[in-house]
Amino acid sequence: MITGGIDVGSLSSEAVLLKDGEILSYSIINTGADARKAAEQVYQTALEKAGLQSSDVDAVVATGYGRLVVPFATKQVTEISCHARGAFFLFPEVRTVIDIGGQDSKVIRIDGRGNVVDFVMNDKCAAGTGRFLEVIARALELSVAELGKEGEKATRVAEISSMCTVFAESEVVSLIAQGVPRPEIVRGLHQAIAERTAGLVQRVGIVPEVVMTGGVAKNSGVVAALSQKLGVKVLVPQEPQIVGALGAALLAQKLAQ
Amino acid sequence: MDLYEFMRGILREQRWGKVLSSPLTYQLVEKALWLARKGFRWRATYLMARFALAQTKKAYTGEAPVVWTSAFFPVEIVWGLGLCLFSPEVAAAFITSLGFADQALSQADQKGYSRDLCSFHRCIAGAAADGYLPPPAALVASTHLCDGAPLLFQNLAEHYKVPYLVLDVPYESTPEAEKYVAHQLAQIWNTLAEITDRRPDIGSLARAVDYSNQFRNHLEAVNTLRCRIPAPIQGSEMLNYLYLFFAGQGHKEAAAVFACLERELESAVDSENRERFRLLWLHLKPYHKGELMHFLEKEAGCSIAFEEMSHVYWPPLDPVNPFPSLARKILSHFAYKPLEWRIAVVDALARKYQVDGIVHFSHWGCRQSCGGSLILRDALQEKGWPVLLLDGDCLDQRNEAPGAVLTRAQAFLEVLEGRKEGSGGIAEK
Ligand SMILES: Nc1ncnc2c1ncn2[C@@H]1O[C@H](COP(=O)(O)OP(=O)(O)OP(=O)(O)O)[C@@H](O)[C@H]1O
Ligand code: SF4
Ligand SMILES: [Mg+2]
Repeated sequence: MITGGIDVGSLSSEAVLLKDGEILSYSIINTGADARKAAEQVYQTALEKAGLQSSDVDAVVATGYGRLVVPFATKQVTEISCHARGAFFLFPEVRTVIDIGGQDSKVIRIDGRGNVVDFVMNDKCAAGTGRFLEVIARALELSVAELGKEGEKATRVAEISSMCTVFAESEVVSLIAQGVPRPEIVRGLHQAIAERTAGLVQRVGIVPEVVMTGGVAKNSGVVAALSQKLGVKVLVPQEPQIVGALGAALLAQKLAQ
Repeated sequence: MDLYEFMRGILREQRWGKVLSSPLTYQLVEKALWLARKGFRWRATYLMARFALAQTKKAYTGEAPVVWTSAFFPVEIVWGLGLCLFSPEVAAAFITSLGFADQALSQADQKGYSRDLCSFHRCIAGAAADGYLPPPAALVASTHLCDGAPLLFQNLAEHYKVPYLVLDVPYESTPEAEKYVAHQLAQIWNTLAEITDRRPDIGSLARAVDYSNQFRNHLEAVNTLRCRIPAPIQGSEMLNYLYLFFAGQGHKEAAAVFACLERELESAVDSENRERFRLLWLHLKPYHKGELMHFLEKEAGCSIAFEEMSHVYWPPLDPVNPFPSLARKILSHFAYKPLEWRIAVVDALARKYQVDGIVHFSHWGCRQSCGGSLILRDALQEKGWPVLLLDGDCLDQRNEAPGAVLTRAQAFLEVLEGRKEGSGGIAEK
């Protein structure tokens, strides 16, 4: 049985193809302005990588904020259930999943069978999410992929008090003007995100193992700051960005049975 | 037919303020309403619309002095004086349902009202500033539950330069508190009579109290009928009867609406309802054009089996002792007490209506409902109920992140699905 999972997020879209519980291929692209087109494109790329046709696929589950615009999906499931399912597949011991994407952060409590028991999401603004990191990285003339390494160079941590993207950006600009070294500012950012996320985690309670998914999990600085803040080791899958799509493909197996 | 869809159809293309204050509109709408009466799912809805329309017309055309009352003020007092009653919070919901809230909300922004305030209050303030609401002869607000209302009403009293009366309700329900509230009610009744030049007639107050009891009895009967599975009427439909709850008690027409609904529910069978999940709804619903209710009830096949608003929490009133018994009614509100009361009521309702989960619609800026929601959630979860705190705004859609409300709601249903598959559901807890 072959199934697919498509995660159309606010910033990135992923597709995962599964055959009997094994990942055949996956693909990640930017969502851009046209979510429907992104869904089609990311799916097509994954199919090509696996050498498959869409007719070979038994069922497709779509997730992510753009889940409703995936015309070839058999079913739509929220990111909450998909990230939980994907993380549980990779780490059967997981009980807490933290997904930080481009505009949402979510904390999900799951039980011993991988079912969602409770969840919380950040409120309406994108403070402390991936988008926030992107804006600040730009002000620092870095790419998001460089943030983790940059932060490691710091011996001290600059204090960032605002979590609002707009205010934090001007705060960072003034820190640069004051001559605060860039690595210290980056560490400050990671710290600030960790604190905000820890607040969200506390609302559902910390139960290990804790797994972090979504694009921001690729930032080793945020993961380290969060591990320290929570006092537990935060586990990160090899490719955290595809966990939602993986979960979707796993849920599609149930549909195809 | 949806009542609001009907009204929107009539009012489309017009400036809402002008429309609301023109007597001509009411003649037109009355006629159109009558012609469309068979299209409503419930005749009760038609009756409510007719009642609300008649009162609104009275208010705008100055047939009787208008008294504005805050959401939890005992309106029997006002009806008992034969006055015209205007409930601004309900008007705000109505303005929003018609799709005209944006203008009122921006006007409130411009006047300097903080966006952190409840949008019911901002909408009223904006509409009043725009001059679109029926000018009051007096305003009365109660201090219990809604902490924003007494201050908003003071602002409005300054705006209209009319008397403002406050009912001060103590938090603790003691015999002294009851006496204190009853005494104030009698005073307010007399003062309102004086201001509006009415004779305070205890007989007509007793009649209003009697109508209020009829309202209560029919509502209780409706609530009993709603225990049936599948649910004979949807929570979102009941939440459209806001006018009756906040402005109708003490008027014979409001009692008649629920009498009619009771008869209709007796014979109603909703065989098409798959009822994938039964939900208990806390606080109000969105009245703006967001898709939440449609998604839950139509797309996801859920029933909102019951809502907190419809719970009959007060004992029957005594027409011979109107003031003390109205005081008792106010003081018995389960949400104006330590949180344990609300927890117990919600738990009991969840059992009574055999729901699968509980949704608290956390309306932005409403302290009375959201202040305790975390403790409420934890306590209910401890009793085994899945609970969703759904952040949103009943009127101001700008306060909701697009997509986030639906994602939360859908994820909650997935949690419920998982429970059903896993353990056979809540019944086995
Ligand atoms: N290589 C990388 N190194 C560090 N961070 C990265 C990297 N790639 C992406 N990110 C971070 O991940 C974020 C995007 O995460 P993700 O792809 O999970 O978002 P999304 O699923 O589109 O958003 P959402 O779930 O909120 O709709 C970016 O904003 C960026 O901060
Ligand atoms: S929603 Fe809350 S704050 Fe707003 S009017 Fe109602 S009780 Fe008051
Ligand atoms: Mg995502």
